[in-house]
Parts: sequence; structure tokens; C-alpha cells
Amino acid sequence: MKKHIIKKEAVSTVVYPVVFGIILVVLWQTQILHHLLGTDTFTLPLPSRISSIIGDNIGVIMTNVQATVFVALAGLLFGSLLGFILAMVAAMSPHWGAGGLTIATAFNAIPIIAIAPIFTNLTKDFSSDPNVRSMFAKILVVMITCTVSMGINAYRGFTELKPFSLDLMKSYAAGRWTVFFKLRLPNCVPYIFTALRISVPGCVISAMVSEYFAEYIIGVGRQIRESIVLAQYSTAWAYIVTACLIGVVMYAVLLIVENILLKGRGIK
Amino acid sequence: MERKSDVRKKSVILAACAVAAGLALNGCTKKAESSAAASSAGGPNFAKGTPSETIIKTSAAAGKVGNWGLGNEYEILALLSKYGQDQKFLSQAFDMDGFDDSSIWLASAMTYNELGLVKNSYEGGYKYGDTVGTIDMNDEGVAMLEDNIFSNRAFAKANPNTVKAFLAASVKGWKYACEHPDEAAQIVYKYGSSVSSEHQSYMAGEVKKLVETDTKGSTVTNYGNMDTAAMQQTLDLAKKYIKLSDSAASQKLSTFTLDNVMDASYLADAAAGKFGKPEKSSVSIQLKWLPQAQFMGYYVALDKGYYKDVGLDVKIVPGGGDISETTAVYSGQVDFGVTWVSNLIAANAGGMDLVEVAQVYQRSGLVLVYKYAK
Repeated sequence: MKKHIIKKEAVSTVVYPVVFGIILVVLWQTQILHHLLGTDTFTLPLPSRISSIIGDNIGVIMTNVQATVFVALAGLLFGSLLGFILAMVAAMSPHWGAGGLTIATAFNAIPIIAIAPIFTNLTKDFSSDPNVRSMFAKILVVMITCTVSMGINAYRGFTELKPFSLDLMKSYAAGRWTVFFKLRLPNCVPYIFTALRISVPGCVISAMVSEYFAEYIIGVGRQIRESIVLAQYSTAWAYIVTACLIGVVMYAVLLIVENILLKGRGIK
Repeated sequence: MERKSDVRKKSVILAACAVAAGLALNGCTKKAESSAAASSAGGPNFAKGTPSETIIKTSAAAGKVGNWGLGNEYEILALLSKYGQDQKFLSQAFDMDGFDDSSIWLASAMTYNELGLVKNSYEGGYKYGDTVGTIDMNDEGVAMLEDNIFSNRAFAKANPNTVKAFLAASVKGWKYACEHPDEAAQIVYKYGSSVSSEHQSYMAGEVKKLVETDTKGSTVTNYGNMDTAAMQQTLDLAKKYIKLSDSAASQKLSTFTLDNVMDASYLADAAAGKFGKPEKSSVSIQLKWLPQAQFMGYYVALDKGYYKDVGLDVKIVPGGGDISETTAVYSGQVDFGVTWVSNLIAANAGGMDLVEVAQVYQRSGLVLVYKYAK
């Protein structure tokens, strides 16, 4: 019975998107897409051209991919940690916490395009190496997105408990920290993954946008900008496709990890 | 209900956290400053009279040469290559703060724009006055020509009278602007106040020099002239230093001749007055940047009615940020554009078919600016 359910889920989560992707690529290569969108092969190069550029420049592209993924993952890690701590503080001492979460949410409302140059300026004195300076500023920007997502979801995980479970703990005369480790923390785990489902694509986007304004010229997002300004659309598209692949791969990894860690937790 | 002691406890903890954070940040900065000071061997100040070769080699070795990138860096790369240095530069923001706080020793600057801001004390100026020196790309032999007028080759072929009329009126506008730079500055300021009016006046004076002097220092009277030698140098440097990831584009670039880039016939006919009624009377021109005296010729022509005299109704579209003038012209959003020759070459290599019809700036306005030692 369980195997049946898993197979059905596998079909909808994996097979349908893959089929959709293949149809899209076919439409694109045969230029039906160009007719539909009313564009030409200069602004929207064919997949064959894009893949040949990626193949020719795989070394340079991988260097840029490494830079972007490093920034995205570092921001994801530190941002999520910070968000988790904020949520913990908010849940354990409501007097401090509620304000902290609100401030973090307010920060998230500021567009990245505005915040990235500000952080680049603020972190000017961090290091004498421009690559390190830029990396630091970019990671700070990515952290903002991830902190809020994790903070809010973890807070819900800590506070939205099954009815009467808190009362049960009280009846056992459990202390605050016992309740935290035995009840709130295990309850939080699915909420952490909900947060990561938002944060992982979000951190990739933030990383790429923050590269636009960084001091050091590196990263997939930055190369898109540099190519478009020089009217090199095929190269820009090569990096755009690379960016999409980064996002898809990271999200797929997240889903696999979630599947492993949340096995047997019941109906999703 | 919180007891007073609880509130006091919390405020003490909060204060302690703030102090700790402040100290940590301060500690970070101090550490960075001392390491920066230790690594500044030779720069950021250079004694007056130091030969440019020394300045370039010292700054490049320390990795403190700056440029904005985005298609403006080829002359710098050529210069670094000339002196056997690594072709690396720091990404410079559009302001001169990096030069001001000495994180960049040799900063890129346009004579009419950033250099003016560095030297002068009006609004937005950094007040350096005569305490800065410059390295001129023209003198170093790595000049690439900049502001020009271009359009789609197909458009020019289909609307030759429009192009010639536009050039005739624009050249007239540039002539007037160069003869009366202060008035031109005021006209531009009227159309767009992206910089202060004093800066516009400074800019107008410097732009006049670029329009009326060629790369060798001689005076030019036929405005818009496309000097073959200077254009060829620009093309040769472009072929050498524009690195395109697209192998097809790279291949195409290596085969380029001046015919792929420019067509002087339109300007010749415009100067001789040999053109008829424009085929398209309502045209637009995309500027490379925000409205400023860099483009004073077009604004003067518009303001004084020169465009109207030849039967054109012209709309001037400001640029700025990442707006790509080559894309705007290619897609047909605008009819003409102002760009640098290297951008046009790269765009054509990438697959566009743009043609330059007039070379407004006769010499490169790009310099590297450095601070004199006290």
C-alpha cells in the first residue's frame, strides 16, 4: 500500500516537470517558441548555441558557479542559524522575541537591489583583499533573506504545538528547557524544512543579485550583467541557464535530504 | 507583569550585547586598517614627476588599479599589458569614494566627469584641486575612441536622408556648443539636472577639448570626422583586448575591418548639404548616460531648433545605470544612439549590425588619476 503511494508521488514530483522541461526545450530549439513570443534568435539564442558556449567555457563558468554557490550556501547556513536563534529567543522569552522577529521581517521588506550597495560600502574595511570583502558583503545580503524565512517558520514550529501537549508537560512539572528540548524542538523540524524550501531558491537569487553590486567581478549573476551590457546575448543566456541549473540542483538536493530526514513522520 | 528587577536585568544584558558588538566591529576595522597600511608599499601617493611607467607598475603590482568594467576597461587592459602587468583591475563604483579613501590608487576617470568631481569643490566635489596627477590614454598610445553616433545599418540604408539631416543638425549643434560652452552647459542643465550646473560648465569645457583635439594633439575643425588611423587603432585594440566567451562572436571579431564598424559617406553628404527631405521625421536618440554636458551638442541642436530646420522632430532619451544603448537601437526602440566604439564593435561581433555614422569625440577622455605625495 505504502509503495503504491510513494510511486504516485514520484510520478507527480519528478516525471511531470521533466516532461515539461523536454517539451519546452523542443519548442525552443525548433523556434516555435520564438514565433509564440515574437522574438528572434539573437535575443533568445537556440539551446544548441547556448550549450556550445557552456561547453567551450566550462572552466570559467565553473569558477563563477563556485563563487555563487559558496556565497549562497554560506548565507543560507549563517542566515538560517541566526533566524533559528532569533526564533528560539522569541519563543522562550516573548518579551524580547516578538520585537526581534518584527525587525528582521522589516529588513526583509527592503529590496535587495537597495541593500546590496549599502552593505558593499559598509564592509569596505573588512579586508584588504577585494574578493574577501565582496564575499563578506554578499553573504550578509543573502543572510537577510534566509534569517527571516527561518525565523518565522521556526517560531511557528516552536509555538504551534499539538493541543494539550503543553498542558501535559505542565502536568509533569517539566521545566522550560525540558519542554523546549522534548516538545518544541522535535515539533519544529518539519517547519525548518518549510523554511528551507523558501530559503534555498531565495538564497540563490539573493546571491546573484548581490553580485551585481559587489566590488569583485565574479559570479553567475554578475556575468549575466557584464554580458548583456556588451550585447553578448548568447553568453548571457549561457549564464542564465547555468543559474537555473544551480537553483534546480540545490532544490532537488533539499528535497532528497528532506525525504531522508523526515521518513516515517506521517502524512505530508 | 514584569518586576523592576527583571526589567533592569534585561536592560543590562542588552547594553552589554551592544557594547560587545560595537567592540567586535571596531576590532574588525582596526585589524583591516593595520593590514592595509602594512601592504601599501609604494602607494597610494606618488611624488610629482614620477614617470607614469613607475606609477602603473607599482599600482598594478599592489592590485590597486580601478575601472568600472562593463565595456570601459579595454584601454586600461592595453595599458597594463604595455607595461607587462597582469590584466586585472578593481571594480570601481560609479562614484570616486574608492579613490578618496585610497582603496584604489590609480582610479579610472573621464576628464569631463569624474576628474572634475575629484578636483573641484562645488557640490559633489572631492576638493583635491592640484594635488592629483593623471595618466592620459592618448599620450600612452592606447587610446580608443569613445562617443559616436550610430544606428542600425538597415535603418541607415533605408533612411539615408534622415541620417544625413540628423548628422547635419547635430554637427551644427556641436559646433555651437564648442563655441559657447557655458551657454551649452546651461541648456543641458535645463533639460536634465543630474549634476550641478557648475559641474556642467566644467564638463562642457572639457568635452570641447575632446571634440576639437585629436589623439595626437592637433586641432580638428570638421566635427564628427572619423579619422582612419585613430579608428584603426581602436579596432586593433578591441580585437586584442575584448575577450568574448562566445566562440562564434570571437571568430567574427577577429575578421573585422573598419567597414564592419563605420560608414563615412553619410557624414560627407551631410557636411556638403547633399540630402533631401527626411524619410522619417520623428526620430529618437539614446544617450549613453544621464543628461549632462557630455551630450551638449544634441541638446543645443534641439534647443536652438537645428533639428526642426532640417525637418526632424527629435526626442533625446537619457541613458544611465545598465541601460544598453546598443540593445535599444538594435531592437528599434530608438533610431540613433551614442556609444563608445568598443561597445559597437563588441555588439556587432555578438550578432548586431550597427554602423557608426559620426565620431564626435576625436580623442579618448579616459585618464587614470592618482594622488600626489605631500
